[in-house]
Amino acid sequence: MAAADSASATLRRRDLCSRGIRLAGKMRSDVVDLLDTYVERQGLDASASVAAVEGVPVAAVERWDEQTGTQRLLENLAAYRAFRALLAQMLEEQQEQLGEADATLGRALAAVLLQVSAFTYHLEELLRLENRGPPGEEAAVPPMPPPLSLFERKLRGLGVLRELAQWAVRSARDLRQLTKPGPGSGVAPSPAESP
Amino acid sequence: LEHPQNLKCVTHNLRKMICTWDVSSEGRHGQTDFCYTTNDLPPSVCFKTKEKRVEIPVPDSSSTVTITTDSNSGIPFATKEFEIHKKDILFVPLTPRILSLTPDFSTSTLNLKWSDNGLIFPYGLDAIWQIQILRKEATEKVTQVTYYSKLTHEDIILSWNWTSDMPLECTSHYVKIRCYINVTQFVGPKDWSEWSPVGEVPGKDTEPNGSGVFPQDIVVAVGSDLTICCVHEEGQQIKQMTYGPEIYPMIPLSSRSSAIRVLNASASDASGTNAVCTLSEDGTDGAVLFVGYAPDIPENLSCETSNFLVIKCTWKPGRPSGLYGKRRTKYSLFERISGKNVSCKVNEMNRERVCGFPVLADQKTYDFILGVSNPIGQTESSLLVDLTQRVITRSSSTKIRKSSTHLCYFLLSFFSLLVCFKHSRGKSYHTPCYSHNVSIPGGKFSTHTTQLNSLRPYTKYRFRVRCSAADHFWKWSDWSRVEEHTTLEA
Repeated sequence: MAAADSASATLRRRDLCSRGIRLAGKMRSDVVDLLDTYVERQGLDASASVAAVEGVPVAAVERWDEQTGTQRLLENLAAYRAFRALLAQMLEEQQEQLGEADATLGRALAAVLLQVSAFTYHLEELLRLENRGPPGEEAAVPPMPPPLSLFERKLRGLGVLRELAQWAVRSARDLRQLTKPGPGSGVAPSPAESP
Repeated sequence: LEHPQNLKCVTHNLRKMICTWDVSSEGRHGQTDFCYTTNDLPPSVCFKTKEKRVEIPVPDSSSTVTITTDSNSGIPFATKEFEIHKKDILFVPLTPRILSLTPDFSTSTLNLKWSDNGLIFPYGLDAIWQIQILRKEATEKVTQVTYYSKLTHEDIILSWNWTSDMPLECTSHYVKIRCYINVTQFVGPKDWSEWSPVGEVPGKDTEPNGSGVFPQDIVVAVGSDLTICCVHEEGQQIKQMTYGPEIYPMIPLSSRSSAIRVLNASASDASGTNAVCTLSEDGTDGAVLFVGYAPDIPENLSCETSNFLVIKCTWKPGRPSGLYGKRRTKYSLFERISGKNVSCKVNEMNRERVCGFPVLADQKTYDFILGVSNPIGQTESSLLVDLTQRVITRSSSTKIRKSSTHLCYFLLSFFSLLVCFKHSRGKSYHTPCYSHNVSIPGGKFSTHTTQLNSLRPYTKYRFRVRCSAADHFWKWSDWSRVEEHTTLEA
């Protein structure tokens, strides 16, 4: 019976991973489109250098190969929860600053926010499948940023979207890694199961 | 011998004067005996002094002064007598003292306060003040302004504002002031006072963490000339400064600050125009400026009611302000008689402007002021309206009872009506509007019927109806829904 459960969990996990990979791919292309719109509507220079923005999770990771599956999922989940809060804040600021003047950008932002929320839920599902409930939300809420000038907010938004685009690529790779047999994909047993 | 010479007397307050002199050769000598008579009337007043400077009363006409220099052992060895005439005494007002120099960074305005020292002068004298604004360690004069006041025999604190052409954060500003008092009854020569000690308002380029682009996030009118500066850390270099898509030549202000000058700024996009300062080592700093229009005076302000519950006012907004979100143009309806004020929720993207105001009990006349404002300016439009003359009905549902040659209409309305029917055979309405005056006293949704005669039997007709308040025609309502009916066969 246990073997059957394990096989179905694996199938379910593989299915979630492949759907997650497709979602990440769609999200990435939408974020890239949004980036173009954002740069144009905010009057920014596409090549503008943006210093690391506090509260924005960085996609680059060292020793990516050595991460366990659970580590990948947990890092992804923390990142997308942070992006969900950041995008919601951007949307709120957009409404405050522009009102109905730029509905196109507002809609594009809202669409990406929806995808990020969906992907976050997806990751939580994967973690539940590993018999490891996703960590509480409070841990993920990014600290309130210091009051920023409008230009700093514009740059910050650019930094958020750029990093989100990178994360979408990383997430697809992480999820592909989870579908592969082998240690790299393995999920560390949750405390309940520890021998 | 060391003869006293070059006696000069200066008065600052028309009552006392300070006399100074020098001696022909600066040898070693002891004290000096100083004697003077006022208006050449004895007795003579004498005293010893080590200084070559004394303060004595200003004479009405003239004074005789005798100065004797003593040797170190007190033996007088040189005496000189001087005649000081009033016309030889120089009047120089006291050096003004800046009481406060207060910056308002949001408006780039300096407020200067100083005392006019009027107490020591007779009432009514004209005072002229010269105020200099400087930059670059008080070496570069930005402007000099002349300010006039009248002395009132009291010490009055004078206040003066100056708006800079650049944000005060950009660099330190310095202010100094001097004055000239036109003492007409004083016969001697008159001159400007000394410049006051300099007052300073430090710029951000003097603060350790003061870097940034200024002004930050302001709203200005289209056509404005702007000075935008970039304050950076010591040792950093500015590669370029852009406003919108354009690179501008830089004007150095200090070792840590440079500015650009944007003339006749054009309207910005909804998200504002970025002023970007690109620094060495990939540093980027910037600010957003919103350039828009002050609101136009609303045109065609019109108010009406269709239900005696809400008064609907509409107007034409005029040129779009180009400002959005929290900087958008805001509207409010103020009714003067009741004193009631309503702020209007307006979507800046659609051209039609509408605002609802509650119908007030027992009030027939409404004196509206539509207030319009945005960060650049404000205006208003007004309208006095007798509500009973601004009733617009709504053609509501109709039921029809038909016979071979006439149709009866039931109309829902609650005040006297002027009813207009339009009917046609076939597709288009070829008959003119057949107007039928029906008058019904006001009431709660009363209904009434009317009859259209002389129709052709067995003929398909298309009907629609509209109505208007009969007492004071204001507008026709919209047409009702079309009803198609065929009269019975004859």
